[in-house]
Amino acid sequence: MKQGMMKKLTAGLMAVSMAVMIGGCGGTDKAPAKSSGAAKMGVISYLTGAGAAYGESIRQGLELARDEINAKGKVKIELVFEDSKGEKNEAINAANKLIHKDNVLAIMGPTLSSEMFAIGPMVNQEGVPIMGTSLTVEGITEIGDYVFRNSLPESAAIPQSIKRAKAKYNLKKVAIMYSDNNDLAVSGYKTIQQTLKEEGIEVLGVETFADKNTDFSAQLTKIATLKPDAVMVAGLYQEAALILKKARELGINVPVVGNNGFNSPQLIKSAGAAADGAVVASPWFPGKDDPKVKKFIADYKAKYNKEPDQFAAQAYDALQIMAIALEKSGSNTDRKKLREQLAAVKDYDGVTGKFAFDAKRNPAMDVNVLVVKDGKFTELK
Amino acid sequence: MFWQQMVNGITLGSTYSLIALGYTLIFGVLNIVNMAHGEIFMFGAFVGLMIAVHANVGLAGALLAAMATGAVLGYLMEVLALRPLRRRKVSELAPLISTIGVSIFLESLALRLFGAEAQSFPPVSSTQVFDLAGVKISMVQIIILAISCGLMLVLRFWLEKTKLGKSIRATSENIETANLLGIDTKKIIVLTVMLASALGGGAGVLVGLAFNAIEPTMGITMGFKGLAVLILGGLGNITGAMVGGLLLGVAEIFSVAYGVSSYRDAVAFGMIILLLFLRPEGLFGSKEQQGGR
Amino acid sequence: MEFLLNPYYLQMAMFIIINAILGLSMYLTMSTGQLSLGAAGFMSIGAYVSALLTMKAGLPLYLAVPIGGAAACLLAAVIGLPTTRLRGIYLAIATLGFGEVVRVVILNLKVTNGALGLSGIPSMSIMMSKAFIAMGLGDGLGPLSVRQLGNLSVIVILALLLVGLILFSVRLNNSRLGRAFAAIKADEYAAEVSGIDTRYYKLLAFFMGAFVAGIAGGLAAHITFFIGPKDFAYHRAVEILLFAVLGGSDTVWGPLVGSFILTLLPEALRFATEYRSMIYGAILVLMMAFRPQGLISEETIRYWRTKLLAKKAVQQEEISGGTN
Repeated sequence: MKQGMMKKLTAGLMAVSMAVMIGGCGGTDKAPAKSSGAAKMGVISYLTGAGAAYGESIRQGLELARDEINAKGKVKIELVFEDSKGEKNEAINAANKLIHKDNVLAIMGPTLSSEMFAIGPMVNQEGVPIMGTSLTVEGITEIGDYVFRNSLPESAAIPQSIKRAKAKYNLKKVAIMYSDNNDLAVSGYKTIQQTLKEEGIEVLGVETFADKNTDFSAQLTKIATLKPDAVMVAGLYQEAALILKKARELGINVPVVGNNGFNSPQLIKSAGAAADGAVVASPWFPGKDDPKVKKFIADYKAKYNKEPDQFAAQAYDALQIMAIALEKSGSNTDRKKLREQLAAVKDYDGVTGKFAFDAKRNPAMDVNVLVVKDGKFTELK
Repeated sequence: MFWQQMVNGITLGSTYSLIALGYTLIFGVLNIVNMAHGEIFMFGAFVGLMIAVHANVGLAGALLAAMATGAVLGYLMEVLALRPLRRRKVSELAPLISTIGVSIFLESLALRLFGAEAQSFPPVSSTQVFDLAGVKISMVQIIILAISCGLMLVLRFWLEKTKLGKSIRATSENIETANLLGIDTKKIIVLTVMLASALGGGAGVLVGLAFNAIEPTMGITMGFKGLAVLILGGLGNITGAMVGGLLLGVAEIFSVAYGVSSYRDAVAFGMIILLLFLRPEGLFGSKEQQGGR
Repeated sequence: MEFLLNPYYLQMAMFIIINAILGLSMYLTMSTGQLSLGAAGFMSIGAYVSALLTMKAGLPLYLAVPIGGAAACLLAAVIGLPTTRLRGIYLAIATLGFGEVVRVVILNLKVTNGALGLSGIPSMSIMMSKAFIAMGLGDGLGPLSVRQLGNLSVIVILALLLVGLILFSVRLNNSRLGRAFAAIKADEYAAEVSGIDTRYYKLLAFFMGAFVAGIAGGLAAHITFFIGPKDFAYHRAVEILLFAVLGGSDTVWGPLVGSFILTLLPEALRFATEYRSMIYGAILVLMMAFRPQGLISEETIRYWRTKLLAKKAVQQEEISGGTN
């Protein structure tokens, strides 16, 4: 009996694989579909799950930019959103769907670096331009020629903040804390270590924590006894805020120099007065005296009833950059041309400042070093 | 630094004990590991937070609201996910899987309702910090320690002295006999689950206060620690839950203070695996209870 | 037919097969009535070991993947020896904890690159494509491009492996070993009394499950370019558990059906992503309440078999009736 079933099953499987083998006819490398004159852009974003807050900001930034671009009318952009849930397999499926079913022209995202490492090689192989708006770890654009990012890598941001903080606060010896289960924080930590070495600052101790940890008392008690001139922290804002609070409670009142994760209004909101003295380097500075920035903040607030964070701002700029390249390429379907035009983008003046792609498709842009003072990000001079 | 770390460890440990209490109560009576306890705890924390922010009722009100939420969730879980399994003979693993289902459901529901961002209680008077000969203790830490110790004592007393408590213990000894003795075991089971869940909800508020971050995945993190304590202390043992929790808290803190902080999250389960080699019934468990039913 | 060759579907077919192998690993352990929540942990060991072996030591895939499985098996011994002495719940929680410990260790090791994960893992389909190019098929075969050939051959290899594992499991059922497993599942105490070395068989089932999960991990690593510690966390363990719970763990077919449905469902439900986890949770609760044996139980198979046979008989009668 059982063997009979087995035979049936194997026969079935054979039949299916045969059908698959034989069935392939016609061209498969289809050009992106033309649809009502709008260029179809896929978006892979972390829309549900623990990191949904980031994905949501990105979505809102993109939508705001899309509406503005379409209202201007030089090019038309249609966004196709796919959720990755922050998981690599989901991101792979989403990318495959966008490329092979929706035939998008290019892809914005994904939100996490790990997702990009999983889909990047495949997307690159297919010749689809892809631009990360929130990826800050090392090695992203090394994946291939079609991989771009407009988010400043940590390796460019952190050295700036450490140098400025050293000059300002006369740092000689510091302690480091980083989240060891977060790729962004680990990458940030490596940059911190290297910069400290170059600057000749002594490292008194290194402590780790993990994302979603809530208790930092042990690490900070240890750090308090070392009496550092400053604490370097690499992590996300949620943990960073808790660390700031606990540190102040334990009497660590020195400056805290953070990585990209510090760059969020949420940091100040949840840490309150304890956030004072937090230092971060960022191209996005909401307090900048620039009409473009002010208009963006006002528009965003009007539409979503909250302050934009860096993820929204970077996503907004990313789509604007995409639109410039799209306009120059003059085609809604030519991925190769779009890639060439993207790589040539320079002198774009966005809400995160002056922007150009460098030779390795990373952003070349100015950095503001910010410090929290009386509950507000201000420039550290 | 040693004493400061000790204070840190005991504070952390008392929150673990609080959570483990709920696990152990349910296990004692139903022989079930309630995998959804962490999520009930998380829901309690959120409801407490909402009440504290919007209704301005202070800590006591938030605590009560959270406990009520926990009790309601516990009741629903009992009726929808546990009772149907008791009616028919199923493997002992069925309730485990069913409560995993409840936990996944509640976690994603919380994501929908409250969002993924961590929220914190409005600053209360408890931000005050005392300095005892260089050891810093915050008011929150004292409150948590007091409440969790108090709860444990009350619970012990209640289980030992009151009629209801005795019925619960009788049911946990042997359901059939308790039935014969005229105890309404069905009611007792519902009550136990509700009580345990109310404790969980209350614990949510306290932990939320202590660590200032309430978010949907906190249930899993804390739930895992509670599970570890459950095994450490011995399944279904209340003293075990108390001592096991404190032990785990101190062990984690000391692993950071005098060891390597990056292995902290492995301490809990590392301890379990070690314990399973040496004393599988747990620190306070009796031999007969070994391995569930 | 062309849509079947769409890389989107080919990729999904690969995920389905890998998940089916994971479902089988669940089945093997559960066939002795043990609930292990360590599948994700074992999978991670298989994935890391085989990825590192191919990347750093340059070992060929057909060696690296089985070694990954063996490594998972070895670690299963560490946790299995103390816990299989105990019943049900201890194993479930200990394996859950084991997964956590493995994750923390992976985060801390240098060779695994910590939280950054391993990127640039050689991909099976690209390897196959290269092999085809070396064979002089650089322009593809007939209507198929080299890339599609690569993808298809990976699917064929994976499918063959799956069929092999299914055959093995089916044979196992009819063997002495399988009967011992079934006896332990039905009533461990009675099995012990009737002279079955329950501990030995339980350990064996546990090892087999770990080995298969390790293999699945190794394969998964080589079709996705990247692995990181987050891929193997608690939620993954629950997902794998779902395969066996939804499909049913009484027969080999149950977890296969379960993994098939649960890999396709999220894609079909893409519009309802926000509710996906909620639906998963509800499935677990409802299955336990109404159909704890899963969708496919022994009765289901018996039912369909008799029905199919009856249908065949009727058809044959009709045919013979027609010629008369």
